[in-house]
Amino acid sequence: MTTHVKEDALLAQAADAPEKKSVEMPVGVPGYTLQNETIEVPVTEPPVWPINKDLKYVGHTAERYDGPAKASGRARYTSDVQLPGMLYAKLVNATVPHARVVSIDTSAAEKHPGVKGVHVIQHILGPAVLRDPSLEQVRYPVVRYAGQPVAAVAAMTPYAAEEAAKLVKVQYQTLPFVVDLDKAREPDAPQVFPGAADQAGSAGGGGGPHNVPQTGNIHGPSIKRVGDYEQGLKDADVVVEGHYLTQVQTHSALETHGVVADWKPDMLTVWASTQGTASVREELAAFFRIPLSQVRVITEYMGGGFGAKFGPGNPGVVAAALSQKTGAPVRLMLDRREEHLSVGNRPSSDQRIRIGAKKDGPLTAIHLVAYGTAGCGTGAGCSGPAQNLYQYASLHTEENDVFINAGPASAMRAPGHPQGAFALEQTMDELAVKLNMDPLELRDKTDSHPVRRVERQIVRESALWKSRNPVAGASQGPVKRGIGMAQSVWYRFVNMNSAAEVRIHQDGSLEVLSAVQDIGSGIKTVMAQILAEQFGVPPAQIAVKVGDTNYPVGPNSGGSVTTLSLTPAVRDAAWQASQKFLADIAPALGSSPGDLVLVGGEVRSRSDKFQPLSFRRAAAKMSSAQISVQARRIPDYDPKNYLTYGGVDVAEVEVDTEIGRIRVKRVLSVHDCGRPMNPTQTISQINGGVIQGISYTLFEHRLLDPGYGLMVNPDLDRYKIAGALEIPDIDVRLVEAYIGQSSTDASGIGEAAGVVSIGAAVGNAVYNATGVRVRQIPMTPSVVLAALHAARQGEEMA
Amino acid sequence: MSERSKDQPMSAEEQAKASSGRNGISRRGFLKGAGLTAAGTALLEGVQAFSSETEAKETGVREFGPGPVPVRLHVNGTEHTVTIEPRTTLAEALRINLGMTGTKIVCDRGSCSGCTVLLDKVPVNSCMVLAMDAVGHHVTTIEGISQGSEPHPVQAAFVKHDAMQCGYCTPGMVMSCAALLDRNPHPTEQDVRQAVAGNLCRCGTYPKVFAATLDAAGSTRNA
Amino acid sequence: MNSFVLAECTSVSAALSQLNNGAVVKASGVDLLDRMKNGIEEPPKLVNIRNISELRGIRETDQGLTIGPLTTLAEISGHPAIQSRYQILSDSCGHAATPHIRNMATIGGNLLQHVQCWYYRSEEFSCIRKGKEFCFAFGGLNQYHAIMDYGSCPSVAPSSAAVGLLALNASVELQSARRGKRTVGIKEFYVVPDANPTRFTVIEPDELMTAIVVPKPAPGTRSAYQKYGEKESFDWAIADAGVLLEMDGDICRRAVITMGAASPVVRRSAQAEAALTGKPVTEETARAAGRASVEGAQPLSMNAYKLDLFPVAVYRTVLLAAGKMGRDPSAAA
Ligand SMILES: Cc1cc2nc3c(=O)[nH]c(=O)nc-3n(C[C@H](O)[C@H](O)[C@H](O)COP(=O)(O)OP(=O)(O)OC[C@H]3O[C@@H](n4cnc5c(N)ncnc54)[C@H](O)[C@@H]3O)c2cc1C
Ligand code: FES
Ligand code: FES
Repeated sequence: MTTHVKEDALLAQAADAPEKKSVEMPVGVPGYTLQNETIEVPVTEPPVWPINKDLKYVGHTAERYDGPAKASGRARYTSDVQLPGMLYAKLVNATVPHARVVSIDTSAAEKHPGVKGVHVIQHILGPAVLRDPSLEQVRYPVVRYAGQPVAAVAAMTPYAAEEAAKLVKVQYQTLPFVVDLDKAREPDAPQVFPGAADQAGSAGGGGGPHNVPQTGNIHGPSIKRVGDYEQGLKDADVVVEGHYLTQVQTHSALETHGVVADWKPDMLTVWASTQGTASVREELAAFFRIPLSQVRVITEYMGGGFGAKFGPGNPGVVAAALSQKTGAPVRLMLDRREEHLSVGNRPSSDQRIRIGAKKDGPLTAIHLVAYGTAGCGTGAGCSGPAQNLYQYASLHTEENDVFINAGPASAMRAPGHPQGAFALEQTMDELAVKLNMDPLELRDKTDSHPVRRVERQIVRESALWKSRNPVAGASQGPVKRGIGMAQSVWYRFVNMNSAAEVRIHQDGSLEVLSAVQDIGSGIKTVMAQILAEQFGVPPAQIAVKVGDTNYPVGPNSGGSVTTLSLTPAVRDAAWQASQKFLADIAPALGSSPGDLVLVGGEVRSRSDKFQPLSFRRAAAKMSSAQISVQARRIPDYDPKNYLTYGGVDVAEVEVDTEIGRIRVKRVLSVHDCGRPMNPTQTISQINGGVIQGISYTLFEHRLLDPGYGLMVNPDLDRYKIAGALEIPDIDVRLVEAYIGQSSTDASGIGEAAGVVSIGAAVGNAVYNATGVRVRQIPMTPSVVLAALHAARQGEEMA
Repeated sequence: MSERSKDQPMSAEEQAKASSGRNGISRRGFLKGAGLTAAGTALLEGVQAFSSETEAKETGVREFGPGPVPVRLHVNGTEHTVTIEPRTTLAEALRINLGMTGTKIVCDRGSCSGCTVLLDKVPVNSCMVLAMDAVGHHVTTIEGISQGSEPHPVQAAFVKHDAMQCGYCTPGMVMSCAALLDRNPHPTEQDVRQAVAGNLCRCGTYPKVFAATLDAAGSTRNA
Repeated sequence: MNSFVLAECTSVSAALSQLNNGAVVKASGVDLLDRMKNGIEEPPKLVNIRNISELRGIRETDQGLTIGPLTTLAEISGHPAIQSRYQILSDSCGHAATPHIRNMATIGGNLLQHVQCWYYRSEEFSCIRKGKEFCFAFGGLNQYHAIMDYGSCPSVAPSSAAVGLLALNASVELQSARRGKRTVGIKEFYVVPDANPTRFTVIEPDELMTAIVVPKPAPGTRSAYQKYGEKESFDWAIADAGVLLEMDGDICRRAVITMGAASPVVRRSAQAEAALTGKPVTEETARAAGRASVEGAQPLSMNAYKLDLFPVAVYRTVLLAAGKMGRDPSAAA
């Protein structure tokens, strides 16, 4: 699923071949494995940064750049944008899960007094597309899920739009449908597509493999083999196996998908709630066949995406079309129900996994057969953890997407990995039990990643882990306590479309600009910190301008690429600007560029030609009003190295065995992300990953009625999300892991953070508490009690 | 309204108000300490002045709508006249008619508290309150809790503790926590958790919300 | 939401005069607006009673409590007299919904809210509760539905407050312009689906609830309510229990056990009560009461787990009421 991203990045990196110099860079984990390594870098690169403790601003806490704007309600999100004469649009959505649209009658809607425009959708985005389009000769897109947009209206008020949308009459010729994973796999199941179909990935990953067979609704298998797994299983002293089930989760960002589109003759301006201003611009330009230069996308603030918000999607395209038709700006924000139904989700999984191992730990085989549904899209693959966490003598993974009549999935925070890790890491735990080995020790023998090794050491030394009773089910009484651990892995993807501009003004003020959007991870703050480090002024004094395609191109924020892709460009621009600045003011100071240095916010003469001068006063000596430098991302210094990173999570749970309720009491989350640029914000993200992971593990579930194919809980009360009373004490330990890859040496965190491993950590803790393995999420009382009963019956039978 | 960014256009109501100069007659004095009865009376008065409806007062009934009617909303210490249909929720009136977009609509069903405002100091979900029901009451929104240019202590603490990521839940969280400190200046962490038990944050900032609120309360505990 | 006429009323008589031609009462509107926003109801006129001051407030007398229907759940759960003498009522009102909803929601509206069944609440499903033939829950997703006494519709009683009020033997006062006042016990107030699937209570469209009357519990009464959900930061009950014990020293003279999320209307469990009556309250008798509470239950395809939950909810709440166990950390805090 993610490999194509990786390849693109590598290709791009291979293309550049500049002149190199050798530098000494810190590599490893301070206090554990830190050492200096000689690394070849382009000659134009800035001086190597020392580790964080020797920096002033980077790597230290800096107040979130837009914190005051957010805390005061001043921050303006797409949903808040109001333009003069703006119209409100409302989608008309399919009420049936599978149908041909016979006719769409918009006449009544058009007559509604408030209505200014009606749009009938001719081309739907999202669902997989038939390899052979001639299999379906239709006037309107076939409806493949309830909630699929069919048409839209734009009106003077939200109420008028809502009323008029109800007046659009859609006549359906309904088709047989299927919304259940198991039923969809049966040979005579209703077909979601009349032939093979593939879904494109988004900038954030998602989408599935293209060159795979399709049988009925089963799109796959996509197979990966290393060695001979059958032999590997034979070579094993111990084989453990399990059947694991995970549900469909929706992203449920608090701000729904939506845009405000303003189509003017020479410029389409779009405010979008997006993770990728670039992706919105590109796709709108392509869709409407207009030059990129005539599309401007603005994302000042956005209220959460988690992988679902790339490209304009149907709302973006429809709003732009309505704006074009009506000549007025159009706002189209989805409502909560539409958000659940039609703009993405995390696919389900049904995994059968077997792991073979030698008595002393080494893995002889990992065998995983996975099915999952991404609705009428693809991307349910979940073998990433099985492939990438451990060393094995043999591996065989099979991924199958199963089409059902439900909204297409999209990338969601670490696509495939929470599902995969849920099965893999519980199976590893079970293996440790069988081998009578400590779970950390088993990992030490099977996982060679140098940083996770350190992370396990930190876990081993923690009070929490030390309080773990290795004997499962040992605590007395109905409420049982247990502790479990699991590991996560994610990959270093570099988005080469990452550039920034740094401006120095004559009054000493500084600006940094990039089209990148801040989705809450805090990239604005980090950009300010980098300039602060370079120029020696506090971050709060730097003006950061992002979220506008009028600025230099920025990366789409998906797959944990933002910080690691953009920050080297920002640093390079800042460094180059500072050099240009010194060269520019040298004559005015009666000095030469080589004699000047900028340290600690002061311009100094190496030869003591003049008293140190504050940066501001030095700026006044500039020969023109502004110095501006734009820099783009250069490839990683050594892209062959350190392609993965991750962490180790430990969960402590209490299981009320009489009512099947699980409560997560404490979490220890040990993670690495290269050089942590702003530890506070990084910890915020890890907290968030842990909490989202707990919510996924215990509560969330998109429920489709099997008889009618409609979602019964498209809200935020029966679609249950962890709240304030479900939050454990979370202890985050950030591991600084220098990797010698770029001028900032940052990596990502969004995906790896907690969300991958917490499900399995909770599962392992539940086992440790009760002696019973719960192999299905969400672990509701119903599921937990069923597992406890089954175990009890098993015991009685034995 | 000073909270608003300059590039945001005025709503129709604001323009009308700005041109007529009928602005900000504070009713705070009159309503201070008013119980429900006084508020009920104020409701009628508030509406009466602008209503074209002419039901006799003695029936005790006054009908509005279904079309737009002008009403007075008392928001953040200022009286605003807005023309709204009776079905308009308070959240919609604030966001659309008054351009106060700090209050967010997230679920529109009372299940996330993203739309939290104070109605006579009590936190409520403005998505489930008809705007007409706010007439005669004091509405406080996120735009109105700072003291002049000084942020409210809860706002300052949220920034200090990084109690936000995307920030979309933040106004609602701040309102819930500010209301808590108003009625309980020395809460425990459990009190804070209870106070925001209805506030959803999808980015998962809760631990820092708790820490920030306790800090704002001057409590010694730091998370 | 459809557009409507809003009739602002300042007196009961004014409101009663408006209740005709499909007009619907609005208290705080949390439940009504939810239904309207979901498109399952489109009343032409809302009769706004929210500002009728005579309908709000709590009065305690020697006979018991009289509660105005506009009193909010927060006001009830925070009332000192109710907290000390009507624990089950403050518990049940204090555990409904979210803090902010409790600040708005009125007790009258809470008792009169419609069921939360997701089929009923969604526009697409024309079910038996909306006057059609069919119930979708039996063959559909019914994990949160009823396990007993459901007849033709297994939706569950949504009101937490009703679980408390039933145990307290409360009644409601209803008033109409034409027929005057009547008083109905909470038990009789709720209508089982088989009697009439399109109504939830006996209230007529032209009636207002004007008071909730709670008799004073006998001396020595102890009571408690606990609500269990899948999560704690607000969730609809998957099981809940109200317990009222009249104690004679160690012996339970009279027990009342009520349940909400087990059946379409709040129920008293005579079997569970019998298991305690005349006996000391111990973990053993409490558990026996718990087991008895689900006797005769007929779970649906997806909710057999409730057969485990209710016995635990009941036994732990009995022990809580008797002061022999703290508030259950597994229940809503
Ligand atoms: C997120 C969420 C979670 C919730 N969780 C719970 C929970 O756990 N437990 C629980 O019990 N409730 C829960 N609720 C429901 C909530 O408590 C009710 O919606 C609320 O109490 C209704 O009160 P109201 O004043 O808003 O009623 P309204 O919506 O105004 O009225 C409700 C109904 O009663 C009628 N009505 C109201 N008052 C009168 C009167 N005096 N005379 C005649 N008719 C009248 C109205 O016509 C309407 O049909 C939850 C709600 C939400 C949004
Ligand atoms: S938007 Fe009002 S509670 Fe969610
Ligand atoms: S900060 Fe994003 S939802 Fe709370």
